[in-house]
Amino acid sequence: KMAAAGGLQRAGWRLWRARRAVVRCQQYPPLCALQASAALRAPSDEHKKEPWASSSQQHFDSPPAGHQPEQKPQGPHPSYTGQGGQESEDYESEEQLQHRILTAALEFVPEHGWTAEAIAEGAKTLGLSVAAAGLFHSDGSELILHFVSECNTKLSELLKNEQKLVQLGQAEKKPIDEFLRDAVEARLRMLIPYIEKWPQALSVLLLPRNIPSSLTLLTSMIDDIWHYAGDQSTDFNWYTRRAVLTAIYNTTELVMMQDSSPGFEDTWRFLENRVADAMTMSNTATQVQSTGEAVVQGLMGAAVTVSNAGTSRAVR
Amino acid sequence: LRLWRCRCRALLSRPAAALRAQRGLAAGPEMHFGFQTVTEEERREKIYQVFENVAKKYDVMNDSMTLGIHRVWKDILVHKMNPCPGTLLLDVAGGTGDIAFRFINYVRSVRQRQLQRKLKHHQNLSWQEIFESYQNDKFNNSLGDSQVVVCDINREMLKVGKQKAQHLGYSEGLSWVLGNAEELPFDDDKFDVYTIAFGIRNVTRIDLALQEAYRVLKPGGRFLCLEFSHVSNPLLSRLYDLYSFQVIPVLGEVIAGDWRSYQYLVESIRQFPPQEELKAMIEDAGFFKVDYENLNFGIVAIHSGFKL
Repeated sequence: KMAAAGGLQRAGWRLWRARRAVVRCQQYPPLCALQASAALRAPSDEHKKEPWASSSQQHFDSPPAGHQPEQKPQGPHPSYTGQGGQESEDYESEEQLQHRILTAALEFVPEHGWTAEAIAEGAKTLGLSVAAAGLFHSDGSELILHFVSECNTKLSELLKNEQKLVQLGQAEKKPIDEFLRDAVEARLRMLIPYIEKWPQALSVLLLPRNIPSSLTLLTSMIDDIWHYAGDQSTDFNWYTRRAVLTAIYNTTELVMMQDSSPGFEDTWRFLENRVADAMTMSNTATQVQSTGEAVVQGLMGAAVTVSNAGTSRAVR
Repeated sequence: LRLWRCRCRALLSRPAAALRAQRGLAAGPEMHFGFQTVTEEERREKIYQVFENVAKKYDVMNDSMTLGIHRVWKDILVHKMNPCPGTLLLDVAGGTGDIAFRFINYVRSVRQRQLQRKLKHHQNLSWQEIFESYQNDKFNNSLGDSQVVVCDINREMLKVGKQKAQHLGYSEGLSWVLGNAEELPFDDDKFDVYTIAFGIRNVTRIDLALQEAYRVLKPGGRFLCLEFSHVSNPLLSRLYDLYSFQVIPVLGEVIAGDWRSYQYLVESIRQFPPQEELKAMIEDAGFFKVDYENLNFGIVAIHSGFKL
């Protein structure tokens, strides 16, 4: 009897899991996991979270009823048009738990660096065992990618709010170079608490395994900045603008790594100069283009005149 | 020995359900002991006797059968665990203490690095602050409060393990407990990591052992299982079968004077569920993020799950 009940239970769980796995595949492609939506509650609010957290832990610990286990799809999944599974608010998914652990781990980064140790300490503050750091890779890449994606989200919100203020008429629309400068500065300032260990993070982000994700995060951030700057180009300019801003961002970041001036003044001055350079370059480019056009027209006119003169002489 | 191989083929051609019933999911009292069919009680007794007989020569036989590769497998297991100082490990069926010793070495070296880093950091502080920090930290703690409990059902294996520990000079952080994996003598939510290396094959009710593992782990704790598994590559599988059934019992007779025990060993490997099935069983016990890693094309597999 026990075995039969156990068998039914197991079959029930498997059905749940299969549906979950498919719904998850459709809703959360791997990249979105990086730019994960906010956790069920603000991770900073430790005190308010206490009673909530314990109840959610309970849900995890009590086996049968309604576990929503996350299954990373391993291989081709069946094309299953199930009902769009309503995510029950009580149960936290694996992704959200991982998100919470990484957020908690960030405060230990200045001491331990971007390592599995910081993640273990973060897990400890959430009441989990230190072995939960085994959920992530041992070199801390997930922690760094999580941090970068959080910073990008914060930057987007900042820019969106600014845009709202401009639309409501409560603020002036900034000229392009000032806008770019402020956006890049705001983004780089988010690195300041972790600046000592940031070179380590940069080197980890350049590992071949992490390059696709880190590159995607970088390009989406640059895209965001240009979008809020009002760029609506649909020609080759789109690429040049993004390439230019990426170069500015990366070089300024590197300068910031070895900047020891008070309040990073040297870095901001460097940034100002680079943005100014970029603006001049684009002006020069348009000037060169229009000069070029004028020259070409002049030549065409001269050619037509010469040919006309030739034919008229021939006729006479 | 040809007789054994025929029986092996016959068994493998039986329907999956019957096999599944035999693989420790106790549809009835009929169980497998190698390729024989016995009752649960008989199985436990027979396995106890097997390990009682081989205890003294266990390590030597491991080395000769696997040509020393078992050391690499165990190293990979501990590396995968990546324990930090302060971890509490339960090593079930840990008998002669291989995993426990590796764990202690690993944690010791991590702790060394931690202390070195602290020292470097201390170079910026005043001598007063350094002295105060001595009072606060347990500065002489070379293991950083990590502990390992070695649990085994067999007294002989534990005896050999304790002797080995003394011989190799491991004194702190080790505890030796007599216990059954299906019914652990520990309280709930106690351990950070639970490992069972080459032991779960000998457990009569694997589902019970997995449930016990779930029970004694803290929330966030990790379950790690190192075990012989299924080789899918057909050529390698044939060579492996040949080696297992022809060479290993002979080695057993020559080195340990006991070919029956090693015959049991080889047969029990064939009876054990393959990777995906074990993964499903671990998920059934309630573990999350269950995954496995094949070593040597599936000769050995490490399964890992988390209690979340």
